[in-house]
Amino acid sequence: MHIMEGFLPWQWCLVWWLIAIPFLVVGVIELRSIMRQDREYLPLLGVCGAFIFILSALKLPSVTGSCSHPTGTGLSVMCFKPYITAVIGFIVLLFQALLLAHGGLSTLGANMVSMAIGGPLVGYGVYKLLKNTSVNIYVTVFCVAAVADIVTYVITSFELALAYPAATGGVLASFTAFFAIFAITQVPLSIIEGLVLALVFKYIIQLKPELIEKLGVFSKKQIESALRTTTGVPEEKV
Amino acid sequence: MFENRKLEILTLAGLFAFVVLFIIVSSQTGHAFSGSDDVGSEKIAELTGKPVESFTPLIPQYVPPSGEIEATLFALQATFGGVVVGLVIGYWYGQKRRPINS
Repeated sequence: MHIMEGFLPWQWCLVWWLIAIPFLVVGVIELRSIMRQDREYLPLLGVCGAFIFILSALKLPSVTGSCSHPTGTGLSVMCFKPYITAVIGFIVLLFQALLLAHGGLSTLGANMVSMAIGGPLVGYGVYKLLKNTSVNIYVTVFCVAAVADIVTYVITSFELALAYPAATGGVLASFTAFFAIFAITQVPLSIIEGLVLALVFKYIIQLKPELIEKLGVFSKKQIESALRTTTGVPEEKV
Repeated sequence: MFENRKLEILTLAGLFAFVVLFIIVSSQTGHAFSGSDDVGSEKIAELTGKPVESFTPLIPQYVPPSGEIEATLFALQATFGGVVVGLVIGYWYGQKRRPINS
């Protein structure tokens, strides 16, 4: 979903950077305060960030005959909310811009708005919608991860369409064209990402249910009922 | 046993379907499986009527000189993530186990 360096006019680079920076600033402040609250959050933050690192390094082939990568931001946005996720996403995108020439410093703002901010925000909305319903928490994790992934690419298509409206049909026509390239490719990848992150979440609540509960991601009751359906002996261990 | 591994089986089935899909697509069509980033860049070139090469970086950047070096850097990125995941899961597992063994 990277917009390559040089492929976005500087005016648009500036616009997306200006949108991205406030998220980054609030994210850093939130990150510091959460670390001061409890050091036990650090390992969980590590796992959430690590999955963004791993998944965004994997270029997977898709039905459209091109390759793309999942984003892995769903886990982080559920556990640590959108601002902190923006910071982690920024670190990954900065690494790729500096060393891999995937995206660049001028387009980093735009890439952040799609992968580190927009996708996770919509995923967070899905989480908020499903959180207090009877929906199984693994299904919730699946939906959040898959939606955060696919929306990232929808936003990239939108960013490019705004910068490069088609001669005939304008923004909408070029959005459709970019959407076909980015978002359609992403559909199978986001399903896989949803499955993998749901599985990872199972292991997290098996090992550290109290952390997820303390962060208020899910209630104790929800976690216990989820553990009962996916593991044999949760009760006596907890 | 299978009752407790539902999610694992589902995930594996999903991955399997994904691989099968790839084999079908790649054997039936002549797609190059290039990155969607590049395909997107080509689309920009097409829309603007300017060749891809005419888009030069606004801010100079390091470009890995070959695909090999790029692959190494991507592998390092994934390795870093993998190390952290393994470390933390192991740390948590150890925390959970300690009271039982002592």
